[in-house]
Amino acid sequence: MSLRSGRRVFWAAALLLGAAGLLLSLLTGPVRTPIGDLARLFRDPDPVRWAIIVDLRLSRAVLAFLVGAALSLSGAILQGYFRNPMADPFVVGVSSGASLGAVLATALGFEAAAFGFSGPGLLAFASGLGLVMFVYALSLRRGGFKVETLLLTGIAAGALASALTSFFLFMRSDSYDQAVFWLLGSFQLADWGQVATIAPWVVLCLLAAVWLARDMDLLALGDDTAQALGSPVRRVRMAFLAMSALLAALAVAVSGIIGFVGLVVPHWVRILIGPGHRRLFIASALAGGTFLLYCDLIARNLLPAELPIGVITAAVGAPFFLYLLHKKR
Amino acid sequence: MYPWYVSPFFGGLVLFMLLQLPAGLFSDEDPRGHIPGVHAPICSAPSPDVRDLQSPQVVADDLGHPFPLPAETPRKIVSMAPNITEILFALGLGGRVAGATRFCDWPEEAKAIPRIGGLVDPNVEVIRSLDPDLVIAFRGNPLRLVERLRKLDLAVFVLDIGRRIDDLFPLIERIGRITRTEDRAAALAGALRRRLRTADEALRELPSKPSVFVLLYGQGLWTCGGESYVDDLIARAGGRNVAAAMPKKWVLYKREAIIEDDPDVIFILARSTADFTAGRDRLVKMPGLSSVKAVKAGRIFEIDENAASRFGPRLVEVLVRMAALVHPERFGGAA
Repeated sequence: MSLRSGRRVFWAAALLLGAAGLLLSLLTGPVRTPIGDLARLFRDPDPVRWAIIVDLRLSRAVLAFLVGAALSLSGAILQGYFRNPMADPFVVGVSSGASLGAVLATALGFEAAAFGFSGPGLLAFASGLGLVMFVYALSLRRGGFKVETLLLTGIAAGALASALTSFFLFMRSDSYDQAVFWLLGSFQLADWGQVATIAPWVVLCLLAAVWLARDMDLLALGDDTAQALGSPVRRVRMAFLAMSALLAALAVAVSGIIGFVGLVVPHWVRILIGPGHRRLFIASALAGGTFLLYCDLIARNLLPAELPIGVITAAVGAPFFLYLLHKKR
Repeated sequence: MYPWYVSPFFGGLVLFMLLQLPAGLFSDEDPRGHIPGVHAPICSAPSPDVRDLQSPQVVADDLGHPFPLPAETPRKIVSMAPNITEILFALGLGGRVAGATRFCDWPEEAKAIPRIGGLVDPNVEVIRSLDPDLVIAFRGNPLRLVERLRKLDLAVFVLDIGRRIDDLFPLIERIGRITRTEDRAAALAGALRRRLRTADEALRELPSKPSVFVLLYGQGLWTCGGESYVDDLIARAGGRNVAAAMPKKWVLYKREAIIEDDPDVIFILARSTADFTAGRDRLVKMPGLSSVKAVKAGRIFEIDENAASRFGPRLVEVLVRMAALVHPERFGGAA
């Protein structure tokens, strides 16, 4: 199969699977919904049916898609940025910072809501972004910039934040149950407000990333070469870092920490459609959204009680990833 | 020098404001509005003439959220905690409970009620599908979840969990108030108060307060700290919780501390007598514990975990049992 026809198959499959996943999300759940209910939704409005299908299931599906798109776009950006396939939005400290914020908010009873975020969401966003900025500031300090320094700083700062998180969890054992939902991720409380909060940012970052994709391609040749070819390397790097941190922090703020998506989806996509960043960014967002949509379907339908989605993303994603990786090599 | 789009500050503010527009459209104008004058919890039984008023009354729940009082008893109630389910049954509203958590196992009939999930993971979709006209939640339910239910236009009333046994009566009266069964609630609270008062009278002017250690069913030496209502139960039963100084609800206690505290009585909260026996044997075999007074005197007793762990009507019986075990001399020597 040539790369070109492989690409065509990829786009068709991603769109088809995405549409099918959306339909499935509307039809499945603990409350039985026959397919006729969808048809009756507009003809014969029933408040309970409307609330379940539109307010709960549709908003949840859209949010899962957006978060999946945000995480995997963020991962695709960072992997290009570091020229390192191990990079993922959480390596640079977003997740540890965000979980610290969320646990702190729960422990202190901080519940004020603003901009469509809940209290823990707001603090998670702020501390996730704050920790990343701290890491960046620390590793960019002396003008020079090294990928290794940034990664190591991120890991160390992340470990510190994780230690504080565990400390607060231990001190307030009664808030532990609630914190679990942050630490493992869940779309249980999705609503249209959250969708409206993150959708514009995800779309904007995707557009900007596609716009700057050529510069990212040049970065793959090395900073000096890229500079010589006319790319404003420092500015491009700043823009990409800001975008990836923003996307990951937004995702964590609405859904908790969902691992694996940002690391693995860009890899799948690269294997399937090649390394050009313009295609890679769009395809990663699409594939990441679809992937998380299906993971959420499993998380809420597999057992009578809901599973945290972080369990599913890894359990489903890892085998498929291993297969793709070893089939190619 | 640089393309405009990579200039990090270009138009940042304008963009931010534009992007926050859609979020504003979906946010509630008044997410936790306080209504002046109704903030105080309605603890006292309402006078009958107030109840006859035509205009819908508004009370505030324990989060300060306004709640319009229904004109009559709701037909479909969702209970989000076992103690609330118990109180609803005690008020004769068992038949109207349309949904309950998987922990709601008392009384026996409660097991047949459709399940909505657990305390921290109730399923929003299931709750909505039951189409309840009243959802009673408590502070232990995630607040974000309560907010989510409110956004689905459900009438949600959130109750605090009590710190002291005396908080039980206003809790019952409050549930009676929002379900419009004020009379039954007043009768139930009155009966429980009288039962508690007989115990209080039996314990009047105690010469000494025996020290008590409570062991929670499960692994490790978990006990209840000063913030737990169990601490208040022990004090009210004429005892002294050895872990009262710990500023927590549940604490992992140290073995040396028990030996040093040398409690006169040990209570084990257990789900069955088999669990109690296993817990007691484990405790007694711990090195050093054989010197503890409660162990030497054989004053290790079983407390029904199911009743003691729910802040409901059965708590009064738990208290009376504790009092009789701590002060058998005041209760005719029967333990």
